[in-house]
Amino acid sequence: MLLELSEEHREHLGFLPKVDHAVVAEFCRIAVEFLRKGANPKVYEGAARVLNVSSNTVQHGVEGLTYLLTESSKLMISELDFQDSVLVLGFSEDLNKLLLQLYLDNRKEIRTILSELAPVLPSYHNLEWRLDVQLASRCLRQQIKPAMTIKLHLSRDGEHSSQVLQTDPPTLLHLIQQLEQALGEMKTNHCRRIVRNIK
Amino acid sequence: MEELCQPPLEAKSEVTNKLLDLQWKMGMAVSSDNCRSLKSPYVALMLKVADQSGQITNKSFEMTIPQFQHFFKQFKEMAAVIETV
Repeated sequence: MLLELSEEHREHLGFLPKVDHAVVAEFCRIAVEFLRKGANPKVYEGAARVLNVSSNTVQHGVEGLTYLLTESSKLMISELDFQDSVLVLGFSEDLNKLLLQLYLDNRKEIRTILSELAPVLPSYHNLEWRLDVQLASRCLRQQIKPAMTIKLHLSRDGEHSSQVLQTDPPTLLHLIQQLEQALGEMKTNHCRRIVRNIK
Repeated sequence: MEELCQPPLEAKSEVTNKLLDLQWKMGMAVSSDNCRSLKSPYVALMLKVADQSGQITNKSFEMTIPQFQHFFKQFKEMAAVIETV
C-alpha cells in the first residue's frame, strides 16, 4: 500500500533535503518527542536560529516528518512501499535510505503511542455483594423477600466509579447461567483456533 | 435559614429541589462477600426529587437502625416545631 502525500505535505517535507542528515535525524527525535509529550515551540525557535531559517519552516518540517512517520507506522507499511512512497518526493538516495531507517527504528514506539489513543471503556475493578432479606416496606408488612445487592467497582484511565445494583434470586441465577455459557464459548473449537493463531 | 421562612409554594422560592415522594423498606442483610453470616437490619429510603426544571430523579440510600432512629428524631422535632407555628 502506497502513502498518498498531499501538496502541502510535500511542500513541508521539501525542507528536509536542504539540511544535513544529522539535522534530519534530530528532527526525527523531535518528532517522536512531539508525539510523546506535545509540541515544544522553544525547540523550533532554537533550531530555526541555528539553521538560519524561520521557525515556521522548522515546525512544518518536523510536523511533515511526524505525519509521514505516524501514517506509515499506523498502516504498518512494508519497507518497499515506504521506499516507493518516499520516491515521489524526489529526494537523494541517501536521504531516502535515512528516512527508511528512521521509519524502521521508530515504528514500534510510534505504534505503542498510537495504541494508547483508542477509546477506553470502563473496566472491571471489583465486585462486592450482599444478600438481603426484605422484611417490610411502606406498602406491605410481614414480608420475606430475598434480594442481592451488588456494588460494581469500575475504573477508566485511573478514575474509579461504582454502581449499586439490586436483583432478585431468579434473575441472579439467570445472570450466572449466561456468564457460565459465555465462559463455555472459550472452550469451543472456533475460539480455541482464534486464540492459538493470535499468539 | 431565612429562605425556609418563606411559604414553600411561593413562585420565587429559593428551594431548588422539591421532594415528591418518600418510599421506604426495611430488611436484614444476612450474608456478604466479606462476611458470610450477618444479621444486620437496615432501612432503605428512596426519595423522588424534582429539580427546578421539573426533571425527576430518584435518590436512594440506606441507614442502620441507630442512624435511622437519629433521622427519625429530626422529623419528630420538625413536626413538633410545625405544631407551634
